Amino acid sequence: MAEFLPLIMFAAVFAALLAGYAVAPTLAGVALLFAFGGALFGVFDLDDLGFLSGRLFGIITNQTLVAVPLFICMGVTLERSRIAETLLEGLSDLLGRAPGGLGLAVTAVGALLAASTGIVGATVVTMGLLSLPAMLRQGYDPKLATGTICATGTLGQIIPPSIALVLLGDVLGSAYQQAQLGLGVFSPKTVSIGDLFAGALLPGFALVGLYLGYIVFATLRNPARAPAARRERTQAGSLALMLARSLAPPILLIVAVLGSILGGFATPTEAAGVGALGALALAAARGRLSRPVLAEIGQSTVKTTAMVFFILIGASVFSLVFRGYGGDELVQGVFADMPGGVWGAVAIVMATIFLLGFVLDFIEITYVVVPIVGPALLAMGVDPIWLGVMIAVNLQTSFLTPPFGFALFYLRGVAPANVATADIYRGAAPFVVLQLLMLGLLAALPELATWLPNVFY
Amino acid sequence: MTGWGGRLASGIQRAMEAIGRGVAWLTFAMAGMTGLVVALRYGFDTSAIPLQESVLYMHALVVMPGLAYALASDAHVRVDVFVSRMKPRTRRIIDLTGHVVLLAPTCATVAIVSWPYVAQSWRILEGSPEVGGIPAVFLLKTLIPLGAMLLLVQAAAMVVRAFSGPAKASADGTAADGISGEAVGEHR
Repeated sequence: MAEFLPLIMFAAVFAALLAGYAVAPTLAGVALLFAFGGALFGVFDLDDLGFLSGRLFGIITNQTLVAVPLFICMGVTLERSRIAETLLEGLSDLLGRAPGGLGLAVTAVGALLAASTGIVGATVVTMGLLSLPAMLRQGYDPKLATGTICATGTLGQIIPPSIALVLLGDVLGSAYQQAQLGLGVFSPKTVSIGDLFAGALLPGFALVGLYLGYIVFATLRNPARAPAARRERTQAGSLALMLARSLAPPILLIVAVLGSILGGFATPTEAAGVGALGALALAAARGRLSRPVLAEIGQSTVKTTAMVFFILIGASVFSLVFRGYGGDELVQGVFADMPGGVWGAVAIVMATIFLLGFVLDFIEITYVVVPIVGPALLAMGVDPIWLGVMIAVNLQTSFLTPPFGFALFYLRGVAPANVATADIYRGAAPFVVLQLLMLGLLAALPELATWLPNVFY
Repeated sequence: MTGWGGRLASGIQRAMEAIGRGVAWLTFAMAGMTGLVVALRYGFDTSAIPLQESVLYMHALVVMPGLAYALASDAHVRVDVFVSRMKPRTRRIIDLTGHVVLLAPTCATVAIVSWPYVAQSWRILEGSPEVGGIPAVFLLKTLIPLGAMLLLVQAAAMVVRAFSGPAKASADGTAADGISGEAVGEHR
């Protein structure tokens, strides 16, 4: 009985989470109840909790994680300064004249917005408010419109610089060290956030390509699903100028941030800081940085940062108790007996993460699940960068899959009432197929993820 | 109508919001300092350890007191698969139970466990591991129990407020939207 306590605890946490209380204190609180209960029956050593202070200090003074508030600040600034709005107007004027053009514009802007904010909820809500009404007005099939918006919204997960990849890189880095030490390698190789950014770049672009390709394909098959705009709004000359003015700065900013990390000129934290300054300068240059807006950006950054770090703290308490109960050995034992060896283990982990993605956000999964399964998988010889990219694409797929996908909920929240929920579900389906195609490609061709990091480093 | 308990609870709520609004400005200072560190390295070929560490201090100052502020503004994510179908009353009961059974023990454990750790650091007035760094690691470590206690106080205030005075129906309490939960409680 006692050896299954870690699994029972996992199930209890999961059940408690569904009640809808805040995630972080649920993770920590349920684990602590198990710890105290276990101590009463002499199956848990409360001294194990003593490691908590060191761990918490490690979390709040982790240099790499300082990138999190800075990236959040950059994303919130870009969001509040309405750069996406201007961008979308410009691009849809340019592309909207052709059938399917608006859909392509929405995908491009969504990908850019996703790359810059890195927050799935924010991207889907912004794009849903901005572009869904425009697409519907132009006569787009609601299925195609909602599917496009949900799918591009989830790209924030995978296209660097993404907060999801920063956190995943942090966890995979320590899991990789642990796996190698366990194998008796005492000068372990490392995996950095830069590695993961580089690894996610090609799959991210490939996904955008697949989305664009699908929209073109759907339009060619039935032009009535994505009609052209009926009237022209702007002169061609001023349009090009407007586009250059609205498109160039955010692209430059993202390229500069990403380039300085991949080129080894700056740490992710430094790049995030400079990126935040750049976003603030950009917003100021457009006259959108009044004192109240600035205060709002700061407060929103603090709230989101505290939310993220509370989950890290809660997950750290959880994993401490999980480990105290011998959960690590349990998982390793299960993997060792897995039929199909490494591939069987990877498949079962991917399926679990996919299902958990219906209920949990990427931060919880990254900090609760990956520390448990990561060292075991990596010790079996799985490439850490490939694993990270697979997890990211997998979670993104999960967020998009009806009926529980997060992105679908967010869009439902802002979509007009005459768009049926069933349409949103059916609209997302082809994009889920594209995601699965991408996962299959990654499994067949791991070089998609591992080739670029080798070029850079 | 509201007793002293309710007034105290509202005061605590306002204090946490003031703390949050205060540390909010630090996020810009963090970005500025980081920019300065990069500029110094490439422009003047010098590394500034105290500057670099100041970013870390500000970061910790944003994170730990920010926990209570985020609780006060209901910004901590929840799993909202079923929440949207619950009655406001059910939701309030879940929140109160969570505060008492899950959040309070967590805060208390963190505060109690970290106490000797922090006390040891104060005893030797622990400085930076880096040469020339900011000699105040003991203050940095103090933020751990401090943050936990602020969180505990804020949770207690929310429980007290729920039981004192006429329960205000929070009609707008439905907006817990997960990631960027901007939902604001009944006090603003």
